[in-house]
Amino acid sequence: MRHQMTTTKARSMNDSSAANDTPDWGALLARVAEHDDKAAFREIYKHFAPRIKAYAINQGFSQHAEVLVQEVMTSVWRNAGKYSEALASVSTWIFTITRNQRIDMLRKLNRTRAEVVIETEDLWQIPTEDTTICSIQNLSTEKFVKNAIDKLPEEQMIALRKVYYEGKTHEEVAEELKIPLGTVKGRLRLSLQKLRVMFEAKEL
Amino acid sequence: MSAYHPDDMTLMNYAAGSLSIPQALAVSMHLCFCHECRDLVKNFNHLGGALLETIKPASTEDEAFDSLMASLEPHDHSDTPKVKVDMGSAEKITQHFNNPLLRYLPTSLADLPWQRQTKEISKFDLTSLLNIKGFQVALQKINAGAKVPTHTHKGFEYTVILSGGFSDELGVYHEGDFIARDTSHKHSPTALQNEDCICLTVLNAPLKFTGWQRIFNPFMAWH
Repeated sequence: MRHQMTTTKARSMNDSSAANDTPDWGALLARVAEHDDKAAFREIYKHFAPRIKAYAINQGFSQHAEVLVQEVMTSVWRNAGKYSEALASVSTWIFTITRNQRIDMLRKLNRTRAEVVIETEDLWQIPTEDTTICSIQNLSTEKFVKNAIDKLPEEQMIALRKVYYEGKTHEEVAEELKIPLGTVKGRLRLSLQKLRVMFEAKEL
Repeated sequence: MSAYHPDDMTLMNYAAGSLSIPQALAVSMHLCFCHECRDLVKNFNHLGGALLETIKPASTEDEAFDSLMASLEPHDHSDTPKVKVDMGSAEKITQHFNNPLLRYLPTSLADLPWQRQTKEISKFDLTSLLNIKGFQVALQKINAGAKVPTHTHKGFEYTVILSGGFSDELGVYHEGDFIARDTSHKHSPTALQNEDCICLTVLNAPLKFTGWQRIFNPFMAWH
C-alpha cells in the first residue's frame, strides 16, 4: 500500500512536472486581457522581466536594459488580448515582442530625420489571432524545437546562442571562445543542418 | 512556390532580429511568397522562445514593477471577440504574411512613376522613400525578353522577384524567388519572354556603418 502510494506520487510528479512547475502563461495573459488582473501580470513579469533584461544585456543594452524590459512588458500588457496559443507559446510570443522592441529602440537611437520609415512590425510580423494555425500542431512543434536544441552538441549550442542571442559576429565568437573562425562557421553550419533535418523530419 | 530561398543562416539571423532593415525587407518580401520559409522562421522564432526560457535571468529592481503598473491603462473591453481557432483540425493552415512594402508605395506596382534607365529597364527608387542608409533599395522593371548588361557587384545584392521572372548564367527564376549575389558573381540577367519582370533589389553600398555595424555584421560574416 505504502509502496503503491509512493510510486503513484513519483509518477504523477514526473508526468506533470512541466505542467505544475510552469504556470499556464496563456491563462494568465487571458486574465490580464479580460480582467486587467494585476496579480496575473505580476506573475508574468516576475518570470519574464529578468529574462528580457538578461537578453537586453547580452545584446549590449547595458544602460537601456531596464528601458527595454519596461517597453516589452508594456506591450505585453497592451496586447495580451491578441495572444493566441494557437500561434505560439507565450515565451515565443514574448521573444518576438522583445526582438521587435529591441530593433525599434536601436532604430530610434539611429534615426536622424523624422521621415517615413518602414515600420519594424511590417518587416518582422507578429502573427495575430486572424492568422490561424492549428493549435495542437503548433504547440507540439514548439516542444519539438525545444527537444531539438537539447540534442545539439554543447559546442554547437554555445556558438548558436552567441550568434542568435547575443548578436555576436562570427569573428567575435571565435575570439571569445579562442577557436579559429572556420571552426565557428563549421559549428554553426552543422547546428543549422541538424536543426533543419529535425524540423523536416517533424513535418513528415 | 519559390525555388530559390535565403539560406538557413539568413533566416535564423532574420528571426534573431540581427539583419539590417533592407535585408529584412528582402527576406520578408520573400516570406510573402514562400510558406516553406515562413515555417522555418516560425521554428527559429520557437528557438528564440526556448532560449529565452533557458537564459540565466538578470536581477531586476523591485520598484520597477510598481512604477510600470502605475503607467498602464486598463484594457478596452469593447473589442470584438477573438476569432475562434479550430483546435481539432489536423489540417495545417499556412500562416499569412502581409506584403511589407504595400502601404509605403504611392500607387500599385503597375502605376508607379518608373524612372527609365534604358529603353527596356526602369527603376523606382526606395532608398530615400524609406529613409534607408548604407544600402540602395529599389524596384526594377525589365521588359519582357530584355537583357540587363553584364555587371558584377560591390558587396552583395539581394533580389526578390515580385512578378515575371528572369534567367542568368546560374538559373531561371520566377515569382517569389530570392537570389543572393556577391562580388564573386558576374551576371547578365534576361527577363523571361512572356511578361515584364519586376523585382526588389537590395544592394549594400560599402559605405560607413556607424551605429548599425553590430546589426550588419552577423550576416556579412557568413560569406
